[in-house]
Amino acid sequence: MAPDASAGIRSHPLESVIMRSGWVETAERSAPALLGLLLALLALGPALGPGFVLRYDMVFVPDPPLALPGEGFPRAVPSDLVVALLSRIAPDQMVQKAVLIGIFVLAASGAAALVPSRRLGPRLAAAAFYAWNAYLAQRLLLGQWALLLGVAGLPWAVRAVVLGGRLRLAVALLPAAVGGFQAMLVSALAVLATAATAPVPAARPSGTPDTGGSPGRAVPIRAPRGRAVPGRTVPAWAVRARRVVEAALVLGVLSLPWLVPALLSRAVTDPAGVEAFAARADGPLGTVGSLLSLGGIWNANAVVPGQESWWSAIVRLSLAAVAVWGFARLRAPRAVPYRAGAGEARGAGAGEVPPYRAGGEDVPSRRAGQGEAPPYRAGVAVAAGGGLAVALAGVFAPGALGGLIAWWPGFGPLRDGQLYLAPFVLLQAVGLASVVARWHSRAVVAVAAAVPVLVLPTFALGAFGRLSAVDYPDEWRRVQAIVNADPAPGALLSLPWGAHRAFAWNGRRVVLDPATKMFRRRVLWNDALLVGLPGGGRLRVASEDPAVAAAQAALRAGPDGRTAALAGLGVRYVLAQAGDNTFQDAVTVFQGPEIRLLRLDPPK
Amino acid sequence: MLRVIAALAIGAILAVGASVAVVNVASPAPEPPNRPLYNYGDR
Repeated sequence: MAPDASAGIRSHPLESVIMRSGWVETAERSAPALLGLLLALLALGPALGPGFVLRYDMVFVPDPPLALPGEGFPRAVPSDLVVALLSRIAPDQMVQKAVLIGIFVLAASGAAALVPSRRLGPRLAAAAFYAWNAYLAQRLLLGQWALLLGVAGLPWAVRAVVLGGRLRLAVALLPAAVGGFQAMLVSALAVLATAATAPVPAARPSGTPDTGGSPGRAVPIRAPRGRAVPGRTVPAWAVRARRVVEAALVLGVLSLPWLVPALLSRAVTDPAGVEAFAARADGPLGTVGSLLSLGGIWNANAVVPGQESWWSAIVRLSLAAVAVWGFARLRAPRAVPYRAGAGEARGAGAGEVPPYRAGGEDVPSRRAGQGEAPPYRAGVAVAAGGGLAVALAGVFAPGALGGLIAWWPGFGPLRDGQLYLAPFVLLQAVGLASVVARWHSRAVVAVAAAVPVLVLPTFALGAFGRLSAVDYPDEWRRVQAIVNADPAPGALLSLPWGAHRAFAWNGRRVVLDPATKMFRRRVLWNDALLVGLPGGGRLRVASEDPAVAAAQAALRAGPDGRTAALAGLGVRYVLAQAGDNTFQDAVTVFQGPEIRLLRLDPPK
Repeated sequence: MLRVIAALAIGAILAVGASVAVVNVASPAPEPPNRPLYNYGDR
């Protein structure tokens, strides 16, 4: 006989059990995010101290100005603007640390949310893998935090496609939208592939409960509020096509902040970038082995220390093989089959189970892996394969890729092909969870959650000092204040004439010139990129900003004429090294131990 | 039970490997030479 809930719930002996189960459920839900936080603290380590983390493309500055895109390719759009806005309401150093920690938390919780199991072990395994892998580590060491925002949000975006709903997808893509073009392109790869391949709900007689069914058939036409219209169906391909169009629209709208400036800019892309930024072998297993184990970044200085060893390479490749095998066998538990294409977007009520999550406890291990494939499986597989193909194209078909870029600069983002491995990372994370789901053992779960850290242990502590926080010397802040307080128009030219710096106060870590982001006025800087080659030479990737050529010509005019030539280009300030005395007619506004600020008289 | 033992053994091996890697990386290294500093990176 059922107990009287209304009368006995307060004193029922099961009350404590019920309350405890509620707490346990809450704890289990938040466990992946907490694991992400823990991994963030471990990975970032010294980077979380006072100051800014400055490394390669990661340039955060004090009091960042609200600036619109310049004339070059909008590489940091709208990420820099969002950071500047956030810095108005929170300390700028804290904004950077929150972003970096948020990447780990978002990535871990998202990967766990895609795992077709409510058991904690598999979800933690996916969370740990997706937040701690060679891809994320290398991109972080290259300072590409904006890309990683999109990578972290990728599982959420895939989940949103499966669940349906434009608003849900837009919210899931917000981190990528903030990140800018690279983040959105990586997200688009997975989102469109999932939208095109996810099964559609099967047709069923009116009035019967929706219990799943075989995917790929016709679906009932729905009234605006989601109620099926009896007797009318649309073909599955039409549903998929509509889903792809909707996803493309959302992606397009969220890309407008960088897409419009990119189309309006006169920026060009040098095909030499294909050779410079193609994937490379970061270990003894060659380029293909590096890519399969989620490494292979072009920059040897962005490799996690110790990653080049045989031990690390073999262990990471073995883990990748296990994870891919697990993904190939990925199935929902048989007890609750995936309701392909159905779910929350169709009004799943209490007790219903979203399509990516099985309800209740998983079935015993002997039955695991015998249900339907989760609806995102084909899409993630296609996106992972496509990303891997792009990465390999730069290595094995650089001529074709270079030809495409020469034909249309819009193909320029394909030159750094390794970044498109992100869906492959997600595939392996979910695949590892699938392997762990076969074992019901806390020991196995603990080992599985620790494996990503154990195979790449030197990512810890800011990759042993490669990521660390430093503060800008006072002279930088004083120069910034002087220039930003000047209402007179005119650009600032930053010297020495190269894009990157390696300051002693920043531990000689290479970083993009901070002057490019410090000032409210237009900054002219040489955005040509120099890449060192193994033989000792240097490859030059030509500038994208058309204004650079004119500035370069003015600088060639020599000490006698360069001041007038630059002033003629609208340059008001020159930020140079302290010992630069090659501007004879300029006024020294500030002289510090390291930098010198010069003001040029406007042309008469 | 066999699977659990295998998993623990794998975990132990990985932990030993990780310890060696950490010791290698954490040990003091000579100051890097003053390379040309304005490269975006080296292949």
